[in-house]
Amino acid sequence: MSPALLVFALLALAALVSGLGSVTSRSVVYSALFLLGALVAVAGFFILLLAEFLGLAQLLLYGGTVVVLIFFVLMLTRQEEGERVDNPWRWGAAVAALLFFALYTFAVLTTPWPAEDPELISIGELGRTLFADWVLPFEIASMLLLVALIGAIIIARARD
Amino acid sequence: MLSVGLESTWLLVALPLFAFTLIVFAGRWLPRQGAFLGVLATGVGLALLALLAAAFQRGGEGAFSVDWLRWAGFAIPLGMHVDALALVMLGIVTSVSFLVQVYSLGYMASEPRYGWFFAVVSLFAAAMLGLVLADNFLVLYVTWELVGLCSYLLIGYWYERPAAAAAAKKAFITTRVGDLGLLIGILLLFRATDTFSMSETFDLAQRGDIAQPLLTVIALLVLAGAVGKSAQFPLHVWLPDAMEGPTPVSALIHAATMVAAGVYLVARALPLFEAAPLALFVVAILGLVSALLAGALAVVERDMKRVLAYSTISQLGFMFMGLGSLGYSGAVFHLFTHAYFKALLFLAAGSVLHSLATQDIAQMGGLLRRMPWTGATFLIGALALAGVPPLSGFWSKDDVLHAVLTYQSPAFGLLALVATALTGLYVARVVLLAFFGGPRSEAAQHAHESPAILIGPLVVLAVGAAFAGLLAPLGVVRALLDPGHPYTFDPGLAVLSTLAAVVGLGIGWAVYGARLLDAGAIASRFGSLYGLATNKFYLDALYQAMVDRVVLTLARLVAFFDRRVVNDMGVDGAGVVTTAAGERLRYLETGKLYHYALLMVLGVVGITLIVLVIG
Amino acid sequence: MLPLSWFLVVGGALFSVGLYAVLARAHAALVLIGIELMLNAVTLNLVAFATYAPGGQFTGQVVTLFVIAVAAAEVGLAIAIIMRLFRNRATVDVDVVDEMRW
Repeated sequence: MSPALLVFALLALAALVSGLGSVTSRSVVYSALFLLGALVAVAGFFILLLAEFLGLAQLLLYGGTVVVLIFFVLMLTRQEEGERVDNPWRWGAAVAALLFFALYTFAVLTTPWPAEDPELISIGELGRTLFADWVLPFEIASMLLLVALIGAIIIARARD
Repeated sequence: MLSVGLESTWLLVALPLFAFTLIVFAGRWLPRQGAFLGVLATGVGLALLALLAAAFQRGGEGAFSVDWLRWAGFAIPLGMHVDALALVMLGIVTSVSFLVQVYSLGYMASEPRYGWFFAVVSLFAAAMLGLVLADNFLVLYVTWELVGLCSYLLIGYWYERPAAAAAAKKAFITTRVGDLGLLIGILLLFRATDTFSMSETFDLAQRGDIAQPLLTVIALLVLAGAVGKSAQFPLHVWLPDAMEGPTPVSALIHAATMVAAGVYLVARALPLFEAAPLALFVVAILGLVSALLAGALAVVERDMKRVLAYSTISQLGFMFMGLGSLGYSGAVFHLFTHAYFKALLFLAAGSVLHSLATQDIAQMGGLLRRMPWTGATFLIGALALAGVPPLSGFWSKDDVLHAVLTYQSPAFGLLALVATALTGLYVARVVLLAFFGGPRSEAAQHAHESPAILIGPLVVLAVGAAFAGLLAPLGVVRALLDPGHPYTFDPGLAVLSTLAAVVGLGIGWAVYGARLLDAGAIASRFGSLYGLATNKFYLDALYQAMVDRVVLTLARLVAFFDRRVVNDMGVDGAGVVTTAAGERLRYLETGKLYHYALLMVLGVVGITLIVLVIG
Repeated sequence: MLPLSWFLVVGGALFSVGLYAVLARAHAALVLIGIELMLNAVTLNLVAFATYAPGGQFTGQVVTLFVIAVAAAEVGLAIAIIMRLFRNRATVDVDVVDEMRW
């Protein structure tokens, strides 16, 4: 059993358990915490796939900001009585999700993927590529973030 | 001395076309709405023609072509063929157009849409010249239709008058029947020969490379087009009605040029007919019937212009008879002389109309004394028409009769002579009733001579009508058109034809001049025949009934189909179905997010499955 | 080396789990969590492809970076909307926002 295989198996287990826990928990806070676990597992996957920078970025951005934001929301929108967490379509949704997964897996497993050895790329090269070949999408993404920021402020502003 | 080559002949077409464009677009800023441009174009054209004739004299005929459309290894050439026939036609069209336009400067002077008249006449001239020069059936057809369009526009020049509008429609639709035949004939010819070029096609026909009975069918279809345009039986009904147009139009188009296009076509395509003897005979027969029928109708007609219209049909019938008897030079020469004396007669009639404001012969009388120039020129034209020697009509009609008597059966020849006599009869009737005797109305009483600008062209044409015939005994005609058969004077024939003409004139004088016989008594004696003639042998009524019963019923059916099936079901139906579907499908929008998400997922799954199964 | 398809299957599983959350949860924030899971699954797939595709490392990783950035922006906006909803209706149950319908 190679170390890679072991790590993979552990990460996969962690991701799946966290994911399932997140979506079936009856407590909203636990859901958010499980989400954090899933995100960390995915970060682990990134590192396993030799994309270290992305792994770090994942931890910072998702773990650091997205989950925190979700916690904010959960705190600020607490209701007095018990709030409903699941809606009556649960079982239909489960069927649909399973159906989707089945179809997807079938497609993946029946496609002949090329087998290549992965290579590590340096962060420096990644940075250079980002600012040379991808500079336009980069600028547009920054614009997007700005717009999202302004939009969020406007939507969430107190009424005056 | 300027010298041009025959390849510049296209300028003859370009000049009036250019005049048309200028008048249409810039007319309002030009003096007199640009009318002078039309006159100028044809005037310059005449000068150019002289140079071109010199070139022809030097170098013989010429053919030029340039490729127009090209695709898939197949090219449609635009060709120009300048030979003796083309030059004769070019001469006729250019000179008569010029004279008629000069005449119109005065005749149409009080019309508000003055410029438009000259524009369309210029367009007509360009199209007619193009038609004559075409060496390619496609170009011929295009110019053929264009000429028909100009005729429609000019007959309906006074479109505010319902009679004029109806006459224009009738002309267009009747010639359309013929044109359809021509088109089918051209297409069949193309299928048989793989070319639109006239010269190549005629070569193939002469060599026997086109099979019978296809060739006969094609020839008959082409003849159909000619019959329509030249108002021969059975498509003659539009020409008398076309007299609703202004008189210069009648002179130019319906006497000298457009109606001659049919004769030109048959003459040009004579190689086709020579190889299809049945079709050739049909040409001759239709000509004979038209000559007799129209002659008879002219004898009982009261409207001066309509008499001339029937006369045109009749004379064209002579030309067709000549062509059908392989009398190429006779027919073309008769075309030439007829153009001039008929145009003369129409313009003189116009002068009478201008002065009297009526066209009814019964209301005229004694005009020779009051309108001497008009009367004298009319008389010259009328005698030329009757075929009195030594005027032009005699020489050309003689050439035609020579061919007919040589080629056709004696019975045919006899009937042709009867038609000649009929010509004399109606000519005498018109001349005597209009210009001699005493005035039979107020208008005739106060008639006065027309202004010089109207008389000028009349005199020029009268000179032509009188002396052009001498080209025949001088050998020019045969040298140009039929070099293999030089002219020989046939005294027997000359006597015979003159006799026929004199008999007709004599009867006419007896009835209408000296009152030896009473017209009314004759009419009641031949009551049924007279009734038939005055009702134009019920042909018009027959055609109208056909249109009403057959065509309109068909049209109603098609309209129903269009309204209910295509519109209500097809067009509206699409909208109705969409609306109904929408009203039912809107219940899918429940407003709940997860419903939409679920449907999306199901949709994606569904599409993927479909792609997996099919793709 | 580990076969590519394994990574893809894990990604697919995560995606399906997130899909379930979007379809079945009634609290707006929980739906958001589901969306985040789906996005993560997508990035996982992208990076897997990036690593295993010949010459595709740069493209794959850069695109993934952008996806993460956009996801973050989207979360911010979603939060704002949820806050607004809560202020208007005193609840974040997704069933109450059903007025845009027939």
